[in-house]
Amino acid sequence: MPKSKTRSSPDFDQDARGFAPLAALAALAVPGAGQIVRGEVARGLLAGFGVLFLFFNGLFVGGIDAIDSRENRLWFFGQACVGPIAFGVDHYHQSRFKIADGSGRLRPRLPDENPGNIRSLGKMGELGTLSATLAGMMNLIVILDAAFPSTRRKPSTELNPATAR
Amino acid sequence: MNMTTLANTPFIDPLPAHGLWFVLLIPVAIGISITWKAIRTPDLPPAPPTNQAQFPLRAVLLQSAFMTAQIVLGMIALGALSYLAVQYVVPALVPK
Repeated sequence: MPKSKTRSSPDFDQDARGFAPLAALAALAVPGAGQIVRGEVARGLLAGFGVLFLFFNGLFVGGIDAIDSRENRLWFFGQACVGPIAFGVDHYHQSRFKIADGSGRLRPRLPDENPGNIRSLGKMGELGTLSATLAGMMNLIVILDAAFPSTRRKPSTELNPATAR
Repeated sequence: MNMTTLANTPFIDPLPAHGLWFVLLIPVAIGISITWKAIRTPDLPPAPPTNQAQFPLRAVLLQSAFMTAQIVLGMIALGALSYLAVQYVVPALVPK
């Protein structure tokens, strides 16, 4: 069996191209998992940490209102790129912090209706939504990197002279 | 510390820091930088080795910190340019 090559190994073939379906599926499921499946554990951990840091920073700053597929649908399209975590948070938001009005439409709970949350308005709401959406956009890059081997990344003599060619 | 701060539930309620919203640009820039450098850095080893000298994590983090500073300083520069444009350039263009 030929030795598997990764982009970070000294004998990595810079001309490697193609589609890695297993890595793509893993990347869609958990941020950074695609790189880990391909054997690039350190890269996957760092990328996953960055994406999840952005996503939970958005939740921390904007509260759970930052993830809302009903009231902020366009923003949620970007946030959905984080993967099942975003859908889980949105489901929790819709099921725990909203109630159906007379016409069956969901509306935010009022302060005296428990369990309620403080509405995220103004700068905090904007920053939280922006941060969570940026997490989705960055994860899209991470997914594409995992699914399609890149030929643009060149070995760097600055970081590790031993592996440079 | 006021009652709004005491009643805050992290990750459910928004952060009661409305007066310091501009500081929250920094964690956003940090997250973007770490993710971008994790993808673009060419020589990350397949797994973190036991020998720290072989692992360029420090270099990645330094590059991330540098990129964070670039983003933050760039935003400050854009803010300053916008201020100058609104306060001085636009009034000069408008006929009196």
